[in-house]
Amino acid sequence: MKHHYALLAAALAIAPLAPAEVPGNIAIKDAHIVTVSGADLPKATIVLRNGLIEDVGTNVTIPPGTWVIDGTGLTVYPGFIDALSTWGIPGAIPAPAGRAAGAAAQSPPAQTPAPAQALTQAQQQNPIEAENAGRPNVHGPEDRPQTYSFERAADLITPTDNRLEAARAAGFTSAATFPNRGIVEGLGAVIDLSGERGRDMVVAQPVGQQILFRVGGGGMGRAFPASLMGNIAYIRQLYLDLDQYKRAKETYASNPSGNRRPEYDHDLEGLAESPRILLPADQAQQIDRMISFGQELKVPYVLYGLHEAFKRVDQIKQANVPALISLKWPVAPRDADPTDIPNYRDLVIREQAPAVAGMFAKAGVKFAFYSDGVDTAPELKRAVKKAMDAGLSRADAVRALTLNAAEIYGVADRMGSLDKGKIANVVVTKGDAFDDRTTVEYVFVDGAMYQPSKELQQGPPAGGAPGGRRGTTPGNDSEGGRN
Amino acid sequence: MRTSWLALLLAPAAAGLLIAADNSVLVRNVDVHPVTGPEIHNGAVLVIDGKIAEVGARVAPRAGARVVDGHGLQLYPGMINAATNVGLEEIESIRDTIDLDEIGTFNPELRAEIAFNPSSEHIEVTRAAGITTVIALPGSGGRGGRGGAASPVITGQGALMHLEGWTWEDMAVKPSAVMDMLFPEIQGGGGRGGFAALLGGPTRTYAEEEKLYKQKLDQISQFFNEAREYKAAKAAAGPGFKRDIRLEAMIPVIDGQLPLFVRAERERMIKDAIEFADKEKVKIIIADPREMGSTGPMLKAHNIPVVLGKTFQLPMRDDDPYDAPYTLPNEFYKAGVKFCFGTFDVEFARNVPFEAAQAVAFGLPKDAALKGLTINSAEILGVGNELGSIEKGKMGDFILTDGDPLEAKTNIKQMFIGGREVSLESRHTREYEKWMKRP
Repeated sequence: MKHHYALLAAALAIAPLAPAEVPGNIAIKDAHIVTVSGADLPKATIVLRNGLIEDVGTNVTIPPGTWVIDGTGLTVYPGFIDALSTWGIPGAIPAPAGRAAGAAAQSPPAQTPAPAQALTQAQQQNPIEAENAGRPNVHGPEDRPQTYSFERAADLITPTDNRLEAARAAGFTSAATFPNRGIVEGLGAVIDLSGERGRDMVVAQPVGQQILFRVGGGGMGRAFPASLMGNIAYIRQLYLDLDQYKRAKETYASNPSGNRRPEYDHDLEGLAESPRILLPADQAQQIDRMISFGQELKVPYVLYGLHEAFKRVDQIKQANVPALISLKWPVAPRDADPTDIPNYRDLVIREQAPAVAGMFAKAGVKFAFYSDGVDTAPELKRAVKKAMDAGLSRADAVRALTLNAAEIYGVADRMGSLDKGKIANVVVTKGDAFDDRTTVEYVFVDGAMYQPSKELQQGPPAGGAPGGRRGTTPGNDSEGGRN
Repeated sequence: MRTSWLALLLAPAAAGLLIAADNSVLVRNVDVHPVTGPEIHNGAVLVIDGKIAEVGARVAPRAGARVVDGHGLQLYPGMINAATNVGLEEIESIRDTIDLDEIGTFNPELRAEIAFNPSSEHIEVTRAAGITTVIALPGSGGRGGRGGAASPVITGQGALMHLEGWTWEDMAVKPSAVMDMLFPEIQGGGGRGGFAALLGGPTRTYAEEEKLYKQKLDQISQFFNEAREYKAAKAAAGPGFKRDIRLEAMIPVIDGQLPLFVRAERERMIKDAIEFADKEKVKIIIADPREMGSTGPMLKAHNIPVVLGKTFQLPMRDDDPYDAPYTLPNEFYKAGVKFCFGTFDVEFARNVPFEAAQAVAFGLPKDAALKGLTINSAEILGVGNELGSIEKGKMGDFILTDGDPLEAKTNIKQMFIGGREVSLESRHTREYEKWMKRP
């Protein structure tokens, strides 16, 4: 912080605390600018003003009063977007895409408020019963098991999540973040990773409804659905209910007088509001299943997981479905029995999963990456690099993390590329993105400037991943060892 | 139909004429397969008072011995299933019919023969397949708990039982034939632990699991030491000596007389079991291994026999060859390890000849398979002088068949246990008869 603009930088870093003071003009001059939407500009200028990109190009007039950063030797990218995240929702645990049977077992409920409508009076008085609400006496789809479709990520965002700082240090400025409990997990929001209050961070919502199949019957009690087929049948029923619900509402709206009003159903409202549905599809068979299921549901759908998608590239291309690839590459389990012989299929998946992105790029499948519990800067960087080492070009990697993610969630009009008028989400690096020696010099989120510390970029000492709970397999495992 | 009703009809008539003792019989005009020697074509076997008195090409009839004409039939020793829970479990899903798997780590004082139900339907059914003798084990081999202290180690004494008799006392050939032991195992850390974590279970690293395993081994050694101390105290017969049936039951084990029937699936477990046997100076039998790995020469060098489990099962690992369980017996054979067959269950104990036969289809010499159902079984179980072959002085346990007993098509025509003819009727044949009569 000994540069000549140190004071200004410090002021801007604090700026989000006082939103009114945010406007400050910054220009990065003579930098290599990767616009993503258009051609790379080897020597160009970008002006950020009022939290937006004021101008970008080779022939840009820098307004007076603008703080100018000499961009020589620097590269400017659009801020990276985590395409399926829990960042900003601190209690959330990354949801696995279902490595076993395309299903995950019940995870502990996130620290989010229980749905008040589902509670009896007794349950409202007893917090333990309240937490279990809807679990023990679930017999079928009519009981709406593990359905939190009405829960909104936008309402759950807290800027104090300590993963945000680490994400910014890796160049991430935004995330499509989702609540994660139950089978129907709730409404996601695209957020910017900086803000004084949660509401400051929300860019767009709702952007989707995440589905996660949970096999095992809801924790302690045996409750429907306990099987994968039960899970799928339940979602199918839910969408049939939604169809009927919509029609009933339309009919009533056109002629309310003399008709009973249809009952308000907040589960279905949450579903109706969602512009798309995210389906877990990690293994090849599950990909087949989810493509046909998505087509059957007749709602826009997105697949996530996709570690075994190297077997299904053509099918995904043909289905014309966007795909979110987990950056938590499968690796040999830690602390495993040394005499255990890994099976061939696992070995193939471990080796081939990072190549999926490159295959998608060649085939023209629209895809983005998601953090899936990888949430320290060096691990994120290495995870992306691993896909590049397996055949993904740098340009495609950057596009996957920026414009593709924005397009998949329908927010490409405001983020995902360096174009005039978009949100000032920008990452400035010394060196090419994701290379080992590359450092992130500046990150602008909504125009607010951050200079990530070297410590964050190099990562905490081994074993000290922040929020190191289940699902946070450090990416550096994937570097060493036999894969 | 395996049963020759003709033979059954003729038998009482013949017996009546000769006023025979019901455990003396001469079977003649039969192809004798002694197993320990060459086949005797058109030979005869004479049993007097339950014991084989003569075997040969020509044997003179003896007064008081019933004569059976074995024309066109083959005579084999009665087969032995060296690992079952027959008599101790009737219906797997009804707890009240099961007398297995006591709680606790060390239960050497439990005796399977006492619990043996002489009226079990499984006895007749198993017998109908040509099996005259089984080991009844007091443990099912299921492991309680994951690597915890509660998983059983010594489940009790397995009994060698004839499949014929009014009471368990009648049926017991060798009441305490083996000491059933589940060798502890390092539970899957990491890989499987990760799966347990998904299910909300606790995770342990491999290192932690290994530590628990070592603790368990220490616990076992300590128990064996206690048994030795007890033995010394008993010999000293001091005034303060208190009898303890648990430790008392261990004396034949630590003396090396009663073999530990050590269930060890994996190569590593087998190795550790051998090491354990060396250290404790006890006799062991390796039971139900699923792989041999590098243990063949060790087993041979230590003269440790093996009771093989089912061949009709899936390979242990995803990528194992499909025929790994079928070829396993031949691996042990080629390594020069003495082995026999068991099924480690109840309702399929009758299939033991076919479990062995499957190994023959995958390379095991036929005579080795047959020995693994007869003489090797008897020798491994410490009754080599009494059972397992057609030789003078042994019990009159044999079967008359119309072919090779390893062939599924072969019918068991008659069975003798201790020279006494045994009915081959069973629930299966009764059901068959009943439904054949359906108009």
